[in-house]
Formats: sequence, C-alpha cells, structure tokens
Amino acid sequence: MKKRLNEKKPWYRLDLSAIVYPTLQRKNFSSVYRLSVVLKEKVEPDLLQRAVDETLPRFPTFKVAMRKGVFWRYLEPNDRPGPFVEPDIANPCMPMSFQNSSRYLIRIYYYEKRISLEVFHSLSDGGGAMYLLRTMTAVYLRLKGHPIPVGQGVLDLMEEPDAEELEDAYFRYASSKVRPPRSREKTYRIRGTREPFYTLNIITGVLPVQQVLSAARTYQVSVTEYLNAVLLYALLQKQKDDRVFRELPVSIAMPVNLRRFFPSKTLRNFITMVYPAIDPRMGDYTFEEIVLQVHHFMRYYINNKFLNADITTNAAVTRNPFIRVVPLFFKDIVIRQFYKRVQDKQSSAGLTNLGIIETPEEMKAHIERFDVLMGQPFSARTNCAVVSFGEILSISFASSIVEADVERMFFRKLVQDGIHVKIESNRKTEVR
Amino acid sequence: MSYCVNCGVELHETCSVCPLCHTEVHNPRHPADENAPKPFPVRQGAVAPVQKADVLILISVVLAVTAGVCGLLNLLIFYGTYWSLYVIGGCVLLWVFCLPMFLPKISPYVSILLDGGGIAMYFGIIAWLHPGRGWYPDLAVPLTVLATGLILLFAVCVRQIHASILSCAALLLAETAVYTIAVELLIDRFRQTPPGLTWSAIVLTCCVIIDAALITILRHSRLREEVRRRMHI
Repeated sequence: MKKRLNEKKPWYRLDLSAIVYPTLQRKNFSSVYRLSVVLKEKVEPDLLQRAVDETLPRFPTFKVAMRKGVFWRYLEPNDRPGPFVEPDIANPCMPMSFQNSSRYLIRIYYYEKRISLEVFHSLSDGGGAMYLLRTMTAVYLRLKGHPIPVGQGVLDLMEEPDAEELEDAYFRYASSKVRPPRSREKTYRIRGTREPFYTLNIITGVLPVQQVLSAARTYQVSVTEYLNAVLLYALLQKQKDDRVFRELPVSIAMPVNLRRFFPSKTLRNFITMVYPAIDPRMGDYTFEEIVLQVHHFMRYYINNKFLNADITTNAAVTRNPFIRVVPLFFKDIVIRQFYKRVQDKQSSAGLTNLGIIETPEEMKAHIERFDVLMGQPFSARTNCAVVSFGEILSISFASSIVEADVERMFFRKLVQDGIHVKIESNRKTEVR
Repeated sequence: MSYCVNCGVELHETCSVCPLCHTEVHNPRHPADENAPKPFPVRQGAVAPVQKADVLILISVVLAVTAGVCGLLNLLIFYGTYWSLYVIGGCVLLWVFCLPMFLPKISPYVSILLDGGGIAMYFGIIAWLHPGRGWYPDLAVPLTVLATGLILLFAVCVRQIHASILSCAALLLAETAVYTIAVELLIDRFRQTPPGLTWSAIVLTCCVIIDAALITILRHSRLREEVRRRMHI
C-alpha cells in the first residue's frame, strides 16, 4: 500500500505544436485528423478491438487524457476502459471533447475493408500516428493468422517504449541565434457556402504513383512540389473566378516532417509549417512558372538551418519566463486570437504529404492503400492530404464548404497532365 | 467503370453524379450500382454530450457555503450592518450567470431574463441598504428592464431571424441610441428637471448617421456585396 502511494504517476507536457490545438477547441471544432488503411479483406471488429487493446499500451502517449494545469495543459495516462472500435461515420473528424466519458483523444473506426484512426493533434503528428496505425494493423493481421514481423513502421509490442519516442524533440534542436518573424501577408481566402455543423466533405483521388512521378519529372520537380504547384494553380484560378475586388497572394500551409532533418524517434508532434505562395499581383503566372517558383521556394527554405530558426521562434515563446507565469485562461485567449487573426489568414489552403508508407513485405500483400484526411479546417476552406503506398497515391480533400471548385480544378489539372484519377467521395453522388 | 465527361476522372461504381462538377453519368454499359458498398458510410456521428452537472453541483455548494458562512459571521460576530447581503446577493448573481454554462439546454431567452432579474435583485439589495431618494424604482428598475428587453430583442434577431452581421450592427446601434435617450430622460425625471435631450442627442446623431449608411448598404445588393468583399464578411 505504502509503495503504491509513493508511486509517481507519469505525465507529459504538451509539445511545442501541441499547445496550440486545445486553445482552438470549440463546441463545433477540434484539431483532429484521420489516417486510414484499406485492407484487401473486410474488417472483423472483434479482432480489431483485440488488436487495439494489445497495441495501445506500447504507445503511452496515445493512451492519455487532456488535463488543465494553472499555466499549461498536460497529458495524463488514461486507464479508463477503451478506446472502443466503432462502425465508421459519414462525418469523420468530428469534434473530440476533452471531458467525454472515456477521455480518450483517439478514435478507431471500421467500414468494409477500411480501418480508420482519428487522433487529436496534440498527441502526435501524422508521422507519429502512422506508427500506431501500422502496428495496430500488423497486430490485427497477426490475429487473423498472418505472420507479420516487426520493423519498417511496425513496433515491437514486447519492447518497452524508448524514451526518445516520448520526448518533445523541438527543444533538443531549437538552437538558432536568430528568429525569423512569424507574421506574413494576408492571403486569399476561399469564399464558399459554409456547410452545417457535422458535415465534412471528402473527395479522395486515387492515382497511380508512376504516372504522378513521371508528370513531376517532366517539370523536373519532386511529387510534393508538383502537387503544391497544382493546388496553387487551382487556388489562383478560383480567386480569378471569384472576381475579387482586390487580388491577394495565394499561399499553402504545408507541414514539414522535421524527423527528416533532425534525427528523432519521437512519436509526438515534430513538424513545422512552410508557406509556398504565389502573388498574382505581380502578373499572371503560367503553370510552369508556378512549378518553378514552388521548386525554388522548397529548396531554399526546407533545410535544417531555416527549419531550426523556425522552431526556435516557436520555442522562444514557451521559454519566455513572463509568458510562462501567465495563467492558462489568458494564454488561451491570446493564442486563439493570434491564430484566428494572424496564423489562419496566412494560408489559403493546407497540404500535407506523408510520403511513401513503408511496411514489412509480409504486410503489403494484405493492404490495398493508405488514406490521410487533414480534418476539419478551422475556417471555411479546403485541406489536402497526400500519401502513397505501393503503386497507389491517394489525395484526400477535406472541406467544410459546399462548393468543390478547388478540388475540381485540382483534379482536372492532373487529368490534363495525363494522370489517371479515380474519385471517391462522401458528397451526394446520386441524382436528386 | 464510368468517367465524368466534364472532368475526365474515373468515378466510383456507386456514383451517378460526378462529385466534382455534378454532371450526371449516363453509361448504358455500366449504370451506377446502387447496391454496391459506398466508399464512405452514410451513418452520421454525433459527439456525446458532456456531463457538467458535477461542476454545477460543486460551484453551487461553494457559493452556498460562502453565502451561508458570511451570513452566520454577520449574525454572530461582525454584526452592526447587513454587509453579508452583498456577498449573498453576489453569490446568487454569480450562480445565475453560470447557469447556461452548465445547463446547455436552458433557453437563452430564459437565461437573459434570469440575468436581468438577478441584476435587479442585486440593485434591490443595495437600495434596501442605501435607500437614497428612491433611485431604485426611478432609475435602476426601468434601466435594467429596458436593457434586458433590448438584449432579448437582439438575441431574437440573431437566433430566430438569422440577421446578417450588417443588420445586427444596425440594430445594435439603434438600441444604443434608444438606451442612451432613456438614460438621459430617466435621469431628468429623477432629478425633477424638465425632460430634454443634451448629451444623448450627440450619441443619437452618430447612431442615426451610421444606421442610415448601414440601411442604405443593406437595401442595395451591389453595395452590400462590395462591403462584404472588402470586409471579408
């Protein structure tokens, strides 16, 4: 009894990125994203539940509840029953209350051949959560009788979690002596009819990886640069079609996975944002010019020096002793207002590319593809998420507006460039 | 498999309309298969309501204990004046203000009426301790009732009529003008001076000018669109 009383309950500080997301929490908005894996066989819910129960203890930073401190929020281990797998819903990434009965900040859904994992962004970024999804899928396939080894994104359940997996890697690397300013110019905002609460419009394009690669190669750029350029092109077209009174720059908020530049095994957030942009006030851009602009922007900004400066700017805020002693209530107000008035206005859309998903060879035979959804946008706009697995590249748009103009222009441009696109959507696709 | 003739994309086998451009699909060889599983489910999810009753109970207990202890202190130790009535009234008022946070089903109109009633009650306590020259029935009650009425009217416009931001701004300005005039006239009556508009006339003039501009904008669709574009509303 004495020993139990002396046992210290672990807790986790929110990492640098994670601090922002709970402050944006509203009754009708949460920063939740979704990762899905489409298998080749129909999902069995009972086995999936067993897989979840066996996998989650290996990922302690996902088995947590959000708590409020006086100055900051923090994550506390959650031993309540759950999370329980549920049949999938038409409106993914719906708000996630911190005070719900189980207090879990992840959800697991199944539908036909698809397993979906929804994660509150304060727990992890897409890269970290993908480890959980892959391990969970591997355990599920093992329970179905398929021998799946560990490695290539599948963690060993017998191992204790590595301390590096739980670390806030930002502070290890934030060491720049200069800090670039945060605020940028106001950008074009998509105008559209806001959907009622509990609606998230999804349009997923399924593309052959080789065709996308060869299209990108014709412009001598990477796939991410090419897709960024296509999205900027679609946004520029949309701004023109809107006949706005005064044109504004068009910009994309793109998260960069910092693990590529700063070695870390962290399963928590370790991303920073870059904002490739095109300013139509300088003149009309052809698609080739947009591609070139994006290509040079990416090469110039996405390197360990610039990214270090960027995370140092963010780290400086939480290191500041004056900011640290401000009560959480006031911090929430200031951060929310800053995000609403400055940060959110710096981009016209979001685009994330999780890259190529690696799995053990034995697992590949059972998986058709992976999908990613960036979740409900904070303001009325559309977000785009890209992921590739094997021969399939999946591009999913999540939007809270009725009009699908940007998505249409985006996919039409890909078709024009000779890429075969197959569309799936949760929008109304029956004749009325 | 069918392709959209407009976008050139392949459509899911269950699609009879392109989700990108709403063009209907007419493919006699492969009509849309409505029985095949759709790519996304149709079941709508909903967030489970959060039980806040525990917090309400905690706050109620804390406020009740504070009020009770202060009342007892006033009766038994620090007697002489009825100072505890300020604390008790403040606790009741705070509880009334907190009510909508914990009972989301309570109608906002009822909540506004309760808030108005609570404020009138607190003024009543002050008036009972400091009667003055009848400031409570002559000033406090009519101003509280008027403010509650105007807030109720604004709430009805926002919630029932779904008035636009510009219409709400126009209404808010009109209500400000009415309230300012009422304040000045009631003060005149209380001071037993002849009623007349002085400082409130300045507020009224400003409100009328801005309201006239707003109403003009609201009545002309081109102007309205221009303002919406410029203000991003």
